[in-house]
Amino acid sequence: MMREKVAIIGYAQSYHQANMPMTREDMVFEVAKEAAKMAGIEREDIDTVINATNDYYEGRTISELFLVMPIGAYLKDYTKVEMDGANAVFYGMLKILSGTHDIALIVANTQGSTFNPHQISVYTLDPTFDRQIGVLNDISAAAIQARVYMNKYGISEEEAAIVSVKNLGNAAKNPHAHRRMPGISLEEVLSSKLYCDPIRELTMSPISDGAAAVVLASEKKARELSDCPVWIKGVGSCQDSYIRDRKLYKLEGLEAAAKKAYQMAGIKNPFAELDAAEVSERYAHEELMIYEALGFCEEGRGGTLIDSCATFNDGQLPVNPSGGALSADPITATGLIRIVEATMQIRGEAGAHQIPGAWRVLAHGQTGICAQQNIVFILGGEE
Amino acid sequence: MKILKEEVIPVKGIPVVAGFRWSVGELMDRFIKELGNKKILGAKCSKCNYTYVPPRAWCSKCSAKMDANNLVELSGRGVLVGYTTAYVELDGNGNFRDLEKPKAIGAIKLEDADSTIFMPLIDVEPEKLKEGITVKVVWQEETKGQISDIKGFKPEK
Amino acid sequence: MWRNIAVIGVGQTKHGIRRDINAAEMIAEAAWKALEDAELGPEDIDAIAIGNMQGFGGICQAELWSGDLFAAPGKPVLRIATGGTTGGSVAQCGMYQVASGLFDTVLAIGFEKHSDSKEPGATMGLSHVGLANMFHLLANGVDVRTSFAYGGGVGAAAGVSAYQACEYMHRSGCKIEHLDMVAAKSRRNAAKNKYAHLQWPNCTAESLAKHPRFGEIVAYPLRLGHICPASDGASAIVIASEEIARKADRPAWVRGLAACADEENQQAENAQGVSILDTSEQMQCRIAAMKAYRMAGIKNPREEIDVAEIYQPFPHQELMYSERLLLFDDGKAWIPLEEGETEIDGKLPIDPSGGVLSTNAIGSSAMQRVAECALQIMGKAEEHQVPKDVKNAVAHGWGGSTNFTVVTVLGDTPRLRW
Repeated sequence: MMREKVAIIGYAQSYHQANMPMTREDMVFEVAKEAAKMAGIEREDIDTVINATNDYYEGRTISELFLVMPIGAYLKDYTKVEMDGANAVFYGMLKILSGTHDIALIVANTQGSTFNPHQISVYTLDPTFDRQIGVLNDISAAAIQARVYMNKYGISEEEAAIVSVKNLGNAAKNPHAHRRMPGISLEEVLSSKLYCDPIRELTMSPISDGAAAVVLASEKKARELSDCPVWIKGVGSCQDSYIRDRKLYKLEGLEAAAKKAYQMAGIKNPFAELDAAEVSERYAHEELMIYEALGFCEEGRGGTLIDSCATFNDGQLPVNPSGGALSADPITATGLIRIVEATMQIRGEAGAHQIPGAWRVLAHGQTGICAQQNIVFILGGEE
Repeated sequence: MKILKEEVIPVKGIPVVAGFRWSVGELMDRFIKELGNKKILGAKCSKCNYTYVPPRAWCSKCSAKMDANNLVELSGRGVLVGYTTAYVELDGNGNFRDLEKPKAIGAIKLEDADSTIFMPLIDVEPEKLKEGITVKVVWQEETKGQISDIKGFKPEK
Repeated sequence: MWRNIAVIGVGQTKHGIRRDINAAEMIAEAAWKALEDAELGPEDIDAIAIGNMQGFGGICQAELWSGDLFAAPGKPVLRIATGGTTGGSVAQCGMYQVASGLFDTVLAIGFEKHSDSKEPGATMGLSHVGLANMFHLLANGVDVRTSFAYGGGVGAAAGVSAYQACEYMHRSGCKIEHLDMVAAKSRRNAAKNKYAHLQWPNCTAESLAKHPRFGEIVAYPLRLGHICPASDGASAIVIASEEIARKADRPAWVRGLAACADEENQQAENAQGVSILDTSEQMQCRIAAMKAYRMAGIKNPREEIDVAEIYQPFPHQELMYSERLLLFDDGKAWIPLEEGETEIDGKLPIDPSGGVLSTNAIGSSAMQRVAECALQIMGKAEEHQVPKDVKNAVAHGWGGSTNFTVVTVLGDTPRLRW
């Protein structure tokens, strides 16, 4: 249980796109400034700054070296988390709970256009074996996982493709999304370019440039500064085994992370108690596996759930009203964008993709091939 | 931020290459050398019996330490537990390359081992890929004690 | 902090050139040693903090592959990287994980495997800090060959340090002989540290300066013997809550911690320049030190700190940072050096372990500063244990282009009230 409460009091995200016409320094400067402005704070008020960026995606060592200034960290407590940005929110939360800091600024960024992130996924493999064999990358691994999952539970390619129809269609209402395809049809998804069977162009996330930022505050500061603080009700994180020694047909690590988050937030029936969920689905079939791991449906019933339309925006539990990772995947920023979107929903600021009355929303981020590391946040408005 | 004038500046790939030579450790060293003898080794945990391929120094299930005494020889035969066919591959420089001939990749559970290994599948049509079929290792003509000694796996008739 | 927390176990691998093991095995070695030292099993660890500088070893997020070897599956893992001070930031991450109240026992590991890189030393990893900027400028028609900033900046830490050494010598009046003295002390101390890399038991300032190889000036005022090695190694600490720490014999309590980041020092993004004119100013180090001491309740660090582990891959940095850590007056650190105060048996021993000058596996080296302070307090530093009573110790790390600083104050008693 948490002894104290931590809230999100400001956020910002870039207009994610294939090749952002600005430097990464400008990109992070904009989101950092905007988040701070929304939170109603000046640079002096920030106690600690955490940047999430990955040297490999950035194409340079100590990738945060030139980002320190644009994100407002000059002469401030500062550190870098080199995983999905949602983990940086977790670290910011830990610093506030420690009592040593009251306000944290979290910024995450990746410009996928710098270098193909799929190539980089190869560098996360065992260098003494898998990398030498040369068949694995995040796409081929996801393809194998997709087949294992779909074969085991009798889920069709069509059912997985419906996730793309849903998310890319949802993205049409999200001005920040990269890949927005209003009126996209199942046929279009299923005839898009085949990479590794069954993964296609439109069933895998795009390579995006993007950044996001949030401002976290201790309870005292949140109440002082915000008219609608978004509280972190629960959080859970878990790393699964490496791909050779873990189950492929389910996301066990995510299941464990979700359990911890639900326990902390006092949630017993997530499907009933959550109003919406923003998850990081790098592949269409992955969203179905995520439903199961998050307990939205029973094991093996992810296909049934998508078929029921319950996870569409007008369904009982909308998943990825923003369009999710399938519509914008600036890798390190993706999980943080899910947190931003969840916050927007709770504050009623999601515009055309607002889920009416959303008050308890789940946000998920993942790191590593086949979602090896997962972190789950339960965010909620004032009870 | 308003862009005043857009100009396209042609940029070539930066001519800097970082090379690596990873030390593999004792167990992996044995594994790689034995490939030269057309043998596949695993490491069997003496506490919980989980058998790793390739061998490793600590068991991830029960944290027991393992060493050369845990090495076991495997038959090279296994079951296909997963598969895909790649139509596109990465060229090592971050570009996607369409494959003229699609490549089959298999997730294989070797007999008497618990890890899943990911290997090229050869002499098999994509339509014939099915979970549960038996596959066997195919060695290069001449094995030299290196990872590429394994050509791939193919279905056993 | 609302919780008193302590370091209750330390583990290190032998640092050096380790071609006998792979990176995963190396990390696991340190992790298991730390657990053994803390007398805990893997099931007792609630979370893991880990970090290194990925570019050097050629593996992206190595904990994904290697985590299975140190019982990471099932646990929350946070990966942290801040240049040279990565290990210190990882240690602090572990500390915040426990101080937050969400976790009671955490394992924090820093590591680096430089020998896996084909290029000598850490040249490839270091040079691509500024490389992207450099090509961006070239593509825009800027001639970088005459750029002062690039001469220093592209070599990142190493480049900045050569300029910094000159600036520090000008500021303090110290001579190259003082750098020889610091380097010699490091090699002598390292000879008493079984985990250190470069060991030279009888090294003196004269023997170093006169040595045909090590005495050669590489980039004034730095000799070859003044430059840290690129080592392979991993180090780990176990951090626990007060309840668990009280069961240990002599825990090393975390009394204060702080981190601070300054401007990049030499280039700035797109090389448009920085406002820092003197890289030996190190404002962020003063700020971090003051914060950490205040938290620790230390009012007179010069008198109250018993031992300091300072991150000094280059010798002038031992002198410079000892001043910025408020242990000696600005520009005067060469006096206590001359008087032997900073020797292992001196009044204020600095880097009894030999420090980064003799052992530098980047992701591990700032973690080792925290680990070594803990060992001194716990009385477990064996041959390089300082003979005096250690009540308070300060561990320091710098990263980036000497613009990230991490300061941790450890003590033999917890703060009862924060």
